[in-house]
Amino acid sequence: MSISGGDVLADTVAALSKRAPAIIAAAARELGEIRLHLVFGDGTASLMQARQSTLDVIPAQDEDVGDVEVHFDRRTLNLLFDAAQRPSEQALERSLDMRGTREDLLAVWRCFKLLSQRASGLRSVQAIWSAYRDQTRALWSGAAEQVPVTRARGAAYWDHAGWPALDWLDRRHPAQQEMLARDEPVLAPARSLWNGREAESWQATRDIFDNDLMVTMDRCKKLVVDDILSIIPKKPPQKDLYALMTDYVQREGKGLRPTLVIATCLALGGRLDDAVRAASALEMFHNGFLVHDDIADESTHRRGLPTLHEAHGIGLAVNTGDAMHLFAVDMALSNLATIGLARTLGIIHEILHMCRETVEGQAVELGWIRRNFVPSRDADYSRMSTKKTGWYTCMSPCRIGAVAAGVTEPALLDRLNEPLRLTGIAFQIQDDILNLIGETEVYGKEALGDLLEGKRTVMMIHLFRECDNATRKRMTEINALPRLEKPFDYALEMLAAMQKEDSIAYSIAHADRLANAGVKKFEADLKWIPETPGKAVLRQVSNYVTTRAL
Amino acid sequence: MTSFEYTNRLAKPRLGLGPAGPFPDTPLNDPIDRRWLHYAFLSRDGKKALVANSSWLGPGENEPPGTERFATILLLHDGDGPWHSSQFNARTERPPWSAFSRPHAHRAPQSLTITSANGSPAVALELQRTSRNCTSQCAFFANHQHLRWQSETGVLAKGTWTTDTEQSVDLVGYHERVRGRWGWPDLGEWVFGFANDLGADPDEPPEWACVFTFIRPEADCREATASMMLWHRGRMIRHFPRRNVSFAVRGELDRDRISTAPPLATLLGTGAMSPIPRRLAIIARQGDDHVVLDFDADWAVRIVIPSETSLHPFSVHEVVGACLLEGSVNGRRFAVETRGIVEFSGGAHVD
Repeated sequence: MSISGGDVLADTVAALSKRAPAIIAAAARELGEIRLHLVFGDGTASLMQARQSTLDVIPAQDEDVGDVEVHFDRRTLNLLFDAAQRPSEQALERSLDMRGTREDLLAVWRCFKLLSQRASGLRSVQAIWSAYRDQTRALWSGAAEQVPVTRARGAAYWDHAGWPALDWLDRRHPAQQEMLARDEPVLAPARSLWNGREAESWQATRDIFDNDLMVTMDRCKKLVVDDILSIIPKKPPQKDLYALMTDYVQREGKGLRPTLVIATCLALGGRLDDAVRAASALEMFHNGFLVHDDIADESTHRRGLPTLHEAHGIGLAVNTGDAMHLFAVDMALSNLATIGLARTLGIIHEILHMCRETVEGQAVELGWIRRNFVPSRDADYSRMSTKKTGWYTCMSPCRIGAVAAGVTEPALLDRLNEPLRLTGIAFQIQDDILNLIGETEVYGKEALGDLLEGKRTVMMIHLFRECDNATRKRMTEINALPRLEKPFDYALEMLAAMQKEDSIAYSIAHADRLANAGVKKFEADLKWIPETPGKAVLRQVSNYVTTRAL
Repeated sequence: MTSFEYTNRLAKPRLGLGPAGPFPDTPLNDPIDRRWLHYAFLSRDGKKALVANSSWLGPGENEPPGTERFATILLLHDGDGPWHSSQFNARTERPPWSAFSRPHAHRAPQSLTITSANGSPAVALELQRTSRNCTSQCAFFANHQHLRWQSETGVLAKGTWTTDTEQSVDLVGYHERVRGRWGWPDLGEWVFGFANDLGADPDEPPEWACVFTFIRPEADCREATASMMLWHRGRMIRHFPRRNVSFAVRGELDRDRISTAPPLATLLGTGAMSPIPRRLAIIARQGDDHVVLDFDADWAVRIVIPSETSLHPFSVHEVVGACLLEGSVNGRRFAVETRGIVEFSGGAHVD
């Protein structure tokens, strides 16, 4: 009797309901109210819906529609069985189509992740899929002719152990529950070292992390820059576009964002390659923003060199920034080939969210500058800075790294927010302090640039709050001048006023409080991340802001 | 104090029955010519682990041919906690005990003493063979560089071991000789290891034992080689070659469970290495025979070895952990829960 795709799904869910009801209940919770319509390549279709703690799977009629529609071709359904296949091999172009809202798609994905992980460990489910595979053997990639052998049966988990060891390892030790119990990265996939033909390194994160955070950040940045350079075209127009991009992305930078993406991804059991591409997309967005931001702020220096519009004019700089954003979108989408649809969607969502928070924060600050308004409370600064910097510098990179590793549960992702928000704001305040008291060569931007552009920093807010009325009036007049009409002496005058009111010392202490609170929150909120080298790097970053030389 | 002892003396034949060994009497002439003797033991309760290595390296640039550098390191691990390690200048016999010296009778205890320069850690053991060695194997890579090795399981060791205090030990282990010519970056990395049935009759060879190897040269992964060998009551009964073995890993060993050796390496600011896999699975399959090794790492020590041809050192992680060895040979099933030692090595790549 022919077995259809719909039969396989229904039988699998039935087997799981009997053997692992808790998994079905968890999957039903993930699916929630979503009505899932699955159309298989053999022409059959099923509707799947949660009913209390169970899942109902019924054959679908032609007129049925779901909140999420999933269409498989036959090859894709077959490949689902093969755990060793990379996601890119499962989601071939025009072979798999998923439609629905982002939240619904991710919920469906989590539901199926639960089902598949548990199902792969059950022999009764394996038998269902083996029968399905056997009837469509020609579609299975590289399926060797298997001669059934009668072999003595031993321990319960040993049954036609399979080849290679990768399959066996996943079957013998299903990832989720066992690794949680052992405090290991819950999503760490098994990796093949040798399958009789192909050899892989056992060093999954080879030499990325070092005890020296600066070395780690350099390495992460280099990985990302190399990845970006491999994507920038070598064709014309080089001189007025691609050469500018090439030059800009190679400029000195700390590499904080790439480090956070990579460290978070690896801490949660993801692969380095997946993190690098996601980090590259983020870094490209960042570069595009910097180019445009420098134009808006009329900055003259960035990363130790003249800003792009200073060196090449505003027109080319705007265009180059636009191109960077286009390439960033392209790079974000290129994740499809390596980490699959669900995670790519998640990464794009995170990037979009980051952009929205950032432009909102930027709007708040530019509005203050335009209206020549200086808020009186640090809380106002914190709200603006959370949007402008917290998300942009720390929270989103970590969330993107987590999504690249396969963590899409909103509750888990949100637990990354607060510690990294505090770290991000502390980092920004320190950056602002360095602009006033740091060396230009080290800091990379022109000294006192923030005062010239009227940036609303904690120092300025403190100065306006603490100074007398005459000084406040004078400082307001200075802020009212456009940057190009503001003499450098005025910036020095404002700096002197800040020093008189101890605004810089206040800001250093304020940043220190935030940084220490960030470290405490890191330890309290991120206990769920296992103690891996990746987490150690995150911890180093968290502590870095408490020990940064100012 | 020097880290190495220099010698141009080779072991002299003691009897006229082939080389006294453990190596043929041919000098090392190149800076990357090398040979070593490796010892790895576990106590019968699985709580103690001993790893030791004596190595000979060829002459340096301005040294005459035949000059050899001799170095020995001793590492001991007891229960839960870090490893105790000597530097590379531990003292031992010359040449040290080897199962490959000929003639070498079974059941004839001979001594092996290894003592750290400062006296601790140290071992004074009587070793005896119970099993036969496997056939010699060879990996070629990177233009005539090669590594030959030969192993023997079921080596028994009784005597004393000293870390903080001296105590009697009863160990079962593994011995290996290696000879070859390679630079560490070209060699790339390896996964080696063994498991003996620790619960067997103490006067008999282990009921079951295995040794496995996987070498992955840096430049060309097609040069990779792998094997799994299975012993039963002292005889090697199966050798699963390259195409019939597969290796997979998952997870990471908590880095707090990894010590660094020798102690000097920590002073030199040695860079970090990749996390060590927590679980290793090996499946060997040939015809109807199959063997599965399921290894779960507990503790590790990273031995940092200076590389002659790269700035990055070569690191050998000696990892102890529980393992399940099971399979079917000639239709007969077996399953042994025991402990083993696995080496994850690599890291000496050129930037």
